[in-house]
Amino acid sequence: MNQNEAIPFIQEKAAAMRRDCIEMGYSAGNHGAHFGPALSCIEVVASLFFGVMNHNPQVPSMANRDRFVLSKGHACLAYYAALVEAGYFAREVMYTFKHDNSYLSGHPICHPEYGLEVASGSLGNGFAVACGMAMAGKVKKESHNVYCILGDGECDEGLVWEAAMNAAKNELDNLIAVVDRNSFQLAGKTHEIMNLNLEAIWKAFGWDVQMVADGNDVQSVLTALNEMKNSKSGRPHVIIAKTLKGKGVSFMENNLAWHAAPLSKINYEQAVTELDAQQVGGQSNA
Amino acid sequence: MHDISLETLSNWSKLGHRTAIGETLFLLGKENSKVYVATADLTPTARLTHFLDAFPDRFFDVGIAEQNLIDFTAGMAKEGLLTFAVGLAAFIPMRCAEQMRINMGYMNLNVKAIGIEAGVRFGPLGNTHFAMDDIAVARTIPNMTVLAPSDPLSIYKAVYAAANHSGPVYIRLTGAPGFPILYPDDFEFVIGRAIEYKKGRDIAIISTGSVLAAAIGAADLLEAQGISVRVIDMHTIKPLDTAILDRVFAENRLILTVEEHSNIGGLGSAVAEYKAGIDQTPRQIICGLGDSFKKVGSYDFQMQASGLTAVELANVAMANLR
Ligand SMILES: Cc1ncc(C[n+]2csc(CCOP(=O)(O)OP(=O)(O)O)c2C)c(N)n1
Repeated sequence: MNQNEAIPFIQEKAAAMRRDCIEMGYSAGNHGAHFGPALSCIEVVASLFFGVMNHNPQVPSMANRDRFVLSKGHACLAYYAALVEAGYFAREVMYTFKHDNSYLSGHPICHPEYGLEVASGSLGNGFAVACGMAMAGKVKKESHNVYCILGDGECDEGLVWEAAMNAAKNELDNLIAVVDRNSFQLAGKTHEIMNLNLEAIWKAFGWDVQMVADGNDVQSVLTALNEMKNSKSGRPHVIIAKTLKGKGVSFMENNLAWHAAPLSKINYEQAVTELDAQQVGGQSNA
Repeated sequence: MHDISLETLSNWSKLGHRTAIGETLFLLGKENSKVYVATADLTPTARLTHFLDAFPDRFFDVGIAEQNLIDFTAGMAKEGLLTFAVGLAAFIPMRCAEQMRINMGYMNLNVKAIGIEAGVRFGPLGNTHFAMDDIAVARTIPNMTVLAPSDPLSIYKAVYAAANHSGPVYIRLTGAPGFPILYPDDFEFVIGRAIEYKKGRDIAIISTGSVLAAAIGAADLLEAQGISVRVIDMHTIKPLDTAILDRVFAENRLILTVEEHSNIGGLGSAVAEYKAGIDQTPRQIICGLGDSFKKVGSYDFQMQASGLTAVELANVAMANLR
């Protein structure tokens, strides 16, 4: 598939994934779900799973697969949605999200059969582990890449920068990080809690930086990812993708209340109606 | 003495320990202008908005940076301020254990670290968000006081006691919204002095944190079968109240220690460590979360799976009483 063919396919997957997120989150009932954090990074996750990464749901532990680490583990709905759309596990499993004895925890567990690579959710750790995985790829002279999604609030963690400097030192150009720059974290707006010039900082740490002005636009995301995927600059890569927290569901967009919350029946119906209308309109509003 | 009405306590009980801690810190901040609160991106979660709105100059959000949270508050404490560092117990103390060791323990600085959502209340969020090891970590740090209050009023009392105590304190908070009021009336909360919640001859159930409600329930079930049960609220895990333990060793035939914590390193271990040096003591059964990561599931599911319910605790007691 060339990039022009890939775009509508990924958009379609992204739309289906948004719907899946709502279904899963709703089936968690009163436990609620992190809707906003998942919806902001749907286009990034969809582009990776359906346009960029080499992976095989039939052989989840395929040796030369590209690795994926969702360091902002609380956005697991987006990850599970990609896995279900790709066919890693049956659709019914999706409805067990957060249920007793389920594999689909509120933060990813390590469960390779389902394509779940790394247990994440303690912010900062997933990214640092991804750096180690990329190092192993270099040491073993393997050709796959490691992809990792971080939150912009997550970049407050010192560990992120300890890992970033180490990745640059080791010239991990097989590592492609994406910062989901939705400009919110848990307690408020990211620039109010810790105002970081992420572009300048990542550059200063020795990374190749690409800014994507609309991280909810598949074409922009895909172009950036493909460029970085093929770059052997000797430097690790990071895409800072400006996104909308809660993207696609009007009442969740840029609304801190939907960082994590239970979805009522009325809200569920409204979300589904909105998402279905976006799909019928022939564009996933991506 | 306190001026918390029963209505307020009911409200805190209904809304859970987060509201109890947020409101208590607000009340403390109102009384004492030397009280500072810092958090790591958890202002709404820890119900600190009231404090922030009232005392913005005495509130700090360091971002998602738990290690820095402890060192930052330690630096403030070094300069004489009374600082509370509030975070999720999953990350405080585990994420910042070394910062707590050196900058709270070793330097004996007046930082009060508070871990909300300790234990397994975050059941559906998975093991990254459980704190099954926080007592163990905090307890091994010299100079550290470790508190685990059991209900709304004891949370309030624990915070005030910590504020009046000079030195580092870790307070672990457990219990879901709806955790019951166990102390409707005023009572004395003294660090290091356990509360004999109920007298009894046969079994002693020694509990810490909100699981005390299940311990009391177990005692009721056992009493209905003619077994006399003493219930102790060991709200201070360190320093341990050895005087009350001496009485238990002399007067009871079986000990159950009950905690929403790993069986390793918590209250059970603390009691067993003291007991090991004393002749002819009763048997002790450690009732905790075992030594395993948990499956995903609701709080009730977790407590059930670990046997931390009134019925299961009573069964364990029955099975071991000789
Ligand atoms: C080490 C750690 N500290 C605190 C938390 C609690 N927490 C969960 S999500 C979150 C905010 C994350 O913000 P950001 O990285 O910007 O992601 P977003 O939700 O905005 O996509 C926090 C503080 C955590 N999961 N891990």
